[in-house]
Amino acid sequence: MQLDFASREISIKLVYYGPALSGKTTNLVALHGRAGADARGRLMTLETQDDRTLFFDLLPLTFRSKDGDVSLRIKLFTVPGQPIHAATRRLVLQGADGVALIADSRVSETQRNADAFLDLRQNLRDNGIEISKMPLVIQFNKRDLPDIRSDEELARLAARGKEPVFRAVATRGIGVVETFVCLLWLTWRSLDQSHQLSRKLSIDGDDLVSTAAQQLGVTTPFRELIAARMGGRAAGAAPGGAP
Amino acid sequence: MSDERSTDVDALGLGLGPLRLEDLVDREAMRGMVGSIEQVFGMPVRIVSNSGVSLASSSREAPLCAMINEEPAGRRACGAIVSEVKRLRVTSSEGTTHGCFTGARYRVVPIEYEGGTIGRAILGPYLPPSVDTVPDTLLAIEGVDPARAAELLPHMARATEATAEIVSKHLVAVLDVILWSGHKALLTSKMHIASIRESYRELSEKNAALEQAYERQQELDKLKSNFLATISHELRTPLTSILGYSEMLVGGIAGELTGPQLDFVQIIHSKSDQLLKLIMSLLDLSKLESGTVMMRRSDVAIGAVLAEAASTVAPVATKKGVTLTVDAPGDLPLVLGDPERLRQVFVNLGENAIKFTPPGGTVQIVARQMATEADAGGDEPGMVLLAPLRQMIEVRVADTGIGIPEAERDKVFDPFYQVDQSSTREHGGTGLGLSIVKRLVEAHHGTVHIEGNEPTGAVFVVRLPASRPSAPPSKAAISVRFA
Repeated sequence: MQLDFASREISIKLVYYGPALSGKTTNLVALHGRAGADARGRLMTLETQDDRTLFFDLLPLTFRSKDGDVSLRIKLFTVPGQPIHAATRRLVLQGADGVALIADSRVSETQRNADAFLDLRQNLRDNGIEISKMPLVIQFNKRDLPDIRSDEELARLAARGKEPVFRAVATRGIGVVETFVCLLWLTWRSLDQSHQLSRKLSIDGDDLVSTAAQQLGVTTPFRELIAARMGGRAAGAAPGGAP
Repeated sequence: MSDERSTDVDALGLGLGPLRLEDLVDREAMRGMVGSIEQVFGMPVRIVSNSGVSLASSSREAPLCAMINEEPAGRRACGAIVSEVKRLRVTSSEGTTHGCFTGARYRVVPIEYEGGTIGRAILGPYLPPSVDTVPDTLLAIEGVDPARAAELLPHMARATEATAEIVSKHLVAVLDVILWSGHKALLTSKMHIASIRESYRELSEKNAALEQAYERQQELDKLKSNFLATISHELRTPLTSILGYSEMLVGGIAGELTGPQLDFVQIIHSKSDQLLKLIMSLLDLSKLESGTVMMRRSDVAIGAVLAEAASTVAPVATKKGVTLTVDAPGDLPLVLGDPERLRQVFVNLGENAIKFTPPGGTVQIVARQMATEADAGGDEPGMVLLAPLRQMIEVRVADTGIGIPEAERDKVFDPFYQVDQSSTREHGGTGLGLSIVKRLVEAHHGTVHIEGNEPTGAVFVVRLPASRPSAPPSKAAISVRFA
């Protein structure tokens, strides 16, 4: 996070993590498509090979608060999923304010999803951060494929976990905005707690996040959007009451 | 996280720090672009970064400007205008214009990237069509010659505001592509370097850890060998007394023993002897492992060694009803080695073969000369030169016993390994004999492996390098049969 008092600008970094080919880049592409021309920057994809990200993708998004007084600049990154790029993942992860773990819903990918999560945890640890302190949202992508883990199973497991879990079909843009807005909300809350952003800039976090959601073409109030999650006690204990 | 690493992130542009125009563009290429724009549109261009650094500017100065700059007052006035233009506050992305005392104008457009302004492009000076006479503001400058000014004024670049706007828009669009590519290249190259550095760091750490583990392992290995050697030695000392005194008892030195007493003492003696052999083997093995075994080096005729070894084990074979034969041609090359150790190798192999061969079976020990190129396929370059140096002697100890399953063939050389590990196994032994064989053969730079024998049984194949290429003095072939 970076705060520029003079220009009243907050910059945050969100990272989309997950196993290879789980749809991290597709999430960014979908967000890029949804964002208004004012909000979105160019989606930059660095070095790809056979549809696979080698270094990272970068999508800058800029949201202005309702009165245009404060800008929220977000840099969305993806990491390369293949195990060989461990060093790159650790580098991209440095300075992240929030992480979305994009998992592949197929039963056959269960082990790789878990490995990606353990890798995330280890890399955060190597960077000196405990995963429990990191705003985290989990997305089960590819819900349209056969042989996936069932909704009931996900709901049951999500209820036991702390992080909000979303279902998505990123190729069709389903669940992408929900995942992003929820991550943004969790990240904002965590940064607000540690840096008193609302007090210092006298702004309302809810307003800021809901403006961001609007600029992604969402008309439903963002709390309803976040409510589409499964589990996620962490997102529930919001100041100002549960959604 | 270390401080060093967090600065890495900023250097990478992966953090959130502001981008600098200087980092995104190549100045040389920028000058080329500025030059071509000037060529196409006839308008001077200058690119300035946010920190005020001029990254590229047109090289050609308008003649009027050159004249003004000749006079000190003119130079001062011109410098003032230029710095005004450089510092001009530009709020809209459309840009703004600024006039000069010559009547010319400058158009200033911000260079925006990722929602922030990182520099500005300055077009001009250019004369709007409305200016056709030398303005008073120019004549007011001390030292300006009105006639020359009037003569040079028409040579200045001319453009309408609309044209200037089109050119500036075009310029900004071109710049945007350049910045985008530049940014991408910047991130890619920095990422490359950072990833490599990170991988290197990780590998170095792992290497250091491995090295440490390896050293520790070696240390432990040494300790183990030392321990074995010491223990074996300490065990042998009291055992010698037991053997000696039981022998004296059997010999009646302490008086005549009754029948059962004699039996018991003889059992004590034979078991102690067995124990001593085990300890000796252990001692051998640990010495071989720790590399402290003393080896004599001399030319050894392998045929003689085989005959000697066979005669050592022949009584056992005869007792068991196993036929033992030795065959070695007379022209075998010599082996450089320790005859005593080599004898031990073949005694151990012979004992082992006899042990597992049922009565009526055969144990054959056959030596022959071979060259290693048989293994290599013979198409190695320089074979004709190298082959004579690689003479090998192969000794095959073949039995007709139970044989050794393929999967077990490597393991039988491990210390204490027994193919039949059941407590009721038929054949005794310490499980050390073969591991000693392997170590001794390897100490002679040779190899030992096992093949199957037809129809049953195992063949232990020992290959030893010949000591010298030249043929040895011919000796009589050895062919012995014990039955």
